[in-house]
Amino acid sequence: MTTAMYLTQLSPELCLLAGACLVWLFGVSKHAGVRSLMAPFTLLILVAAMVCTAQFGRPGSAEQPVGLLFTDLAYYVRWATLSVGALLLLVNWRTPADREQGEFFGMILCSMAGVMLTASANDLVVLFFALELVSVPTYVLVALSRTDSRASEAAVKYFFLGAMSAAIMVYGFSFLYGVGGTTVLAGAAGHTLQGYFTDAGAMSNYAIIGLVLAFAGLSFKVAAVPFHAYVSDVYEGAASPVTAFLGFVPKIAGFVAMAKLMSVCNWHLPEPLVWMLWIVAAVTMTVGNVLALLQTNVKRILAYSGVAHSGYMLIGILVGPTWGEGPMHDGVAAVLFYIVVYGVMNLGAFAVLATLSIKGRSVETLDDLAGISRKAPLAALAMAICTFSLMGFPPTAGFMGKVYLFSGALSTGERSLVVLAVIAVINSAIGAAYYLRIVAACYLREPTADHQRTGGIAPRFAIAVAALAMIALFIRPIDLVTQAKHATQSIHTQSSSLAQSPPAPVKTLTAAK
Amino acid sequence: MENSLLTLLVFVPLIGAVVVAVMPKELARVVGLAATIVTFALSLYLIPPFLAGGEASQAVEVFGSAYGEKLHFVERLTWITGGSFTIEYFLGVDGLNMPLLVLTTLVSMLACLASWNFNTWKVTKSIKGYFVLFLLLETGMIGTFVALDFFLFYIFWEVMLLPMYFLIGVWGGARKEYAAIKFFLFTLAGSVLMLVALVAMFFYSGEAVSGEPVASAYRDGVTLTHGTFDLIELATNETIQDYFGSAMFLGARFAPVMFIFLFVGFAVKLPVVPLHTWLPDAHVEAPTPISMILAGVLLKMGGYGFLRMCYPIFPTGGEFWAFLLAVLGVVSILYGALCAMAQTDFKKLVAYSSVSHMGYVLLGIAVMTHTGFQGAMFQMIAHGISSPMCFFLVGVIYDRAHHREINRFGGLWLTMPKYGTMATIGFFASLGLPGLCGFIGEVYVLLGTFEARHTFAWAVPCAILAASGVILTAGYVLWLIQRVYLGPEKPEYAGYPEASGREMAILVPFAAFCLLLGILPKHMLFDYVNGTLEQIVNSVLVATQHATTFAAGL
Repeated sequence: MTTAMYLTQLSPELCLLAGACLVWLFGVSKHAGVRSLMAPFTLLILVAAMVCTAQFGRPGSAEQPVGLLFTDLAYYVRWATLSVGALLLLVNWRTPADREQGEFFGMILCSMAGVMLTASANDLVVLFFALELVSVPTYVLVALSRTDSRASEAAVKYFFLGAMSAAIMVYGFSFLYGVGGTTVLAGAAGHTLQGYFTDAGAMSNYAIIGLVLAFAGLSFKVAAVPFHAYVSDVYEGAASPVTAFLGFVPKIAGFVAMAKLMSVCNWHLPEPLVWMLWIVAAVTMTVGNVLALLQTNVKRILAYSGVAHSGYMLIGILVGPTWGEGPMHDGVAAVLFYIVVYGVMNLGAFAVLATLSIKGRSVETLDDLAGISRKAPLAALAMAICTFSLMGFPPTAGFMGKVYLFSGALSTGERSLVVLAVIAVINSAIGAAYYLRIVAACYLREPTADHQRTGGIAPRFAIAVAALAMIALFIRPIDLVTQAKHATQSIHTQSSSLAQSPPAPVKTLTAAK
Repeated sequence: MENSLLTLLVFVPLIGAVVVAVMPKELARVVGLAATIVTFALSLYLIPPFLAGGEASQAVEVFGSAYGEKLHFVERLTWITGGSFTIEYFLGVDGLNMPLLVLTTLVSMLACLASWNFNTWKVTKSIKGYFVLFLLLETGMIGTFVALDFFLFYIFWEVMLLPMYFLIGVWGGARKEYAAIKFFLFTLAGSVLMLVALVAMFFYSGEAVSGEPVASAYRDGVTLTHGTFDLIELATNETIQDYFGSAMFLGARFAPVMFIFLFVGFAVKLPVVPLHTWLPDAHVEAPTPISMILAGVLLKMGGYGFLRMCYPIFPTGGEFWAFLLAVLGVVSILYGALCAMAQTDFKKLVAYSSVSHMGYVLLGIAVMTHTGFQGAMFQMIAHGISSPMCFFLVGVIYDRAHHREINRFGGLWLTMPKYGTMATIGFFASLGLPGLCGFIGEVYVLLGTFEARHTFAWAVPCAILAASGVILTAGYVLWLIQRVYLGPEKPEYAGYPEASGREMAILVPFAAFCLLLGILPKHMLFDYVNGTLEQIVNSVLVATQHATTFAAGL
């Protein structure tokens, strides 16, 4: 009986993994007709997983399996992954070579299953396993995305750095296990928390080391400085549709895992850790923006802009959900809202690059983009909407996302967080400079080359949905915001109900007022 | 009609834009002009409630309920709510924004008429795109002036940048890309700190009222329990005002910090030296009608922002920074005038003259006197009439000569007498000749500055320096008129056609307003704006506890 219950609760992930096996199986079929059905079949699997999520995914009072906890957070992340994932699938519709259809789409499904498991993981081992399930397929995707040597180079770089970061993270987890005496994150007797703290109420040094290492590994996933070095080469080397995938899937997993670790610590990190995250956030957004300013390749610009966006989202993680409800106060809700918006606008921009080509090679540099408003007015319009959204400019969802992120920091009144918000708004002004260059290339310059359209109808449909979603989420953000609010309430209450004797909160930062 | 006039005003241009987009391109300019004319006609309906305002100007009540009650055409709807916050679609008109709205629709209409010869421009691509963006720009401008919810204001303020960026960037001159990006980045960089102020004001107002919910000052029956973006509430709710006056932000006093955050954003728009460098580039590269809008309307948003937000909400901040602001104002006046004098490009000269004229606006506001505020307001409207006229005058001659070198012109009055007459009116209005619109504003600002001598020791030197700006202005304007319009007729310009009927149709209304504002300043403007302005000034004076000093001084 209970096994059946566990299985129904896990059905979305199981659906994806079973689907991946089928895709692998039929993807090597001798018949080209069967192989060409893999993309629609993958979409079907995603829809099936959505149905399962809608049917069984709502968090209830049912008994939870060991190592997993199905909360509102998991529900939100499942929907986010599946719906943004469906768009990403449309963008990737024709990316793989004919013979590699099975591997490619199977990997996509596995990676998405990994994200969804990350959100429900309630055990360090499961969390690690889920994060690797996210990452490992992405190495393969990068390698499969193109036939030229740049993609292989990118895949190798990505793989080795990724493997190293996973090693660092799991080393950190081993410290947490050592001091906590258990790998369970929450929901058990609460011994995790007490193990992390000494009798005096301060966090034990081993726990701090463990958390630093774990955050280092997660920083690689979200491409935060100093673990950002791979992004430009990997993003440039991979085909644009896969790059769009890399911009969303590992990031949402990374941020959800960070939020989980923070909630284990009851959102009271010791001072050195807070300052470490503060510095990482400030440096990440600044470095990302400054490096993006220096690029002429649009994929590299967007890669570094992704670094900067991770910096903005780290603010939300630092703020946490403890200052109040709703995204104006709750940093994690703002992150959950922003990551979805970021995933969609980022995929819109990359998809535009993917659907245009010059003499058989895809559009990549600013010069390549010159004057596309004449040749492909709708693609240029979508590019402009997505770019202005990345810039955080109204009337787009990116603006709402930034307002939520920054206002969370300002609502605390803590001096360091307010300063961080000011650094962030200055950064978003710097960011405007390079985003504007993309728009200027599309609209203000004369075409220099002959653009062809490639990729078929599916990516173009995804572009249209992305652009319209950016406007729609500006006019009516409240539905997504409400869901994000519920999601964070679950990890907030989960951590506070758990701590029977919470250690004296280490109030680290001096109040501004 | 009465209830949704402002919404109509905001969205008629938008509907026009949609119609332009779906109609064949031959009809683009007809539809565009029709939309701007309808908008102008609608904006005239804003005036009647202010006509009874003989007593409005006398009703000097202490800033408080009266400010809110004097709003007309109010519309409020909830736009985004999330438990602890509400963003409203809140529009309203008082004496501060009514004249600016009429100015916006007037300048837009005339600028649209100035775009009539689109097909003869250097860049003639996509006429539909041009008029769509033009009308979107008008929506953005009107929205910025009518929005009374700070969040809504900020959105209109930012959104307005987009059409302007494309209008300069696509249809501009040789360095259009540079100019467009510079314009965009300067304004955006200025407004990011405004975003911080926006959010901080929301939270601080929430802290102010969360202790003990107070009844709203002007909304009966509505109790404020959390922060607000409502600009009127922020300025009139005494609990919020007291808290803003005493709170701290990052170790400094809240009001001065927020004041300067807001100020930077508005100062870029005004523009204040040293944040003005985008303006000459944008003006020179923009096509003529866009320059007219830029000078006539967009620059006024800076001054409007000071009067709507900085001073009513953070009066103590205004007092704190008064010296700096006045100095920046004087520097803008003198530096702008000197730069204008040194220009050889006709359009750049007019652009720098705008910097100089807007310096008076800043000075008049900075000294915080009744007369100074009135002068600043009048200067904004006067400049909104005279500077688009001057830009159009430059455009007329540029269409014929295809260059703007002042020194190569000469004797144009002989060649084109009607045009020459209009040019004289326009440039003399810009100079500040008594009887024309430029005079009143400058004199009021100077008087207001002298008036402030009891509060600010530096007021008199500032007034003297600013007054010397008048001489510089006379210098460059007279020298310009002499070089371009006077002197013997030059053979290369001999065959130029006289100003056409369309061109006169644009110039004559401008010239008429130059005269009317100059001769009947009270009936044309002061009657409408004084009520609101006096309430704002009084509140500022009460808040800064200088009311008694002033009474003694006067």
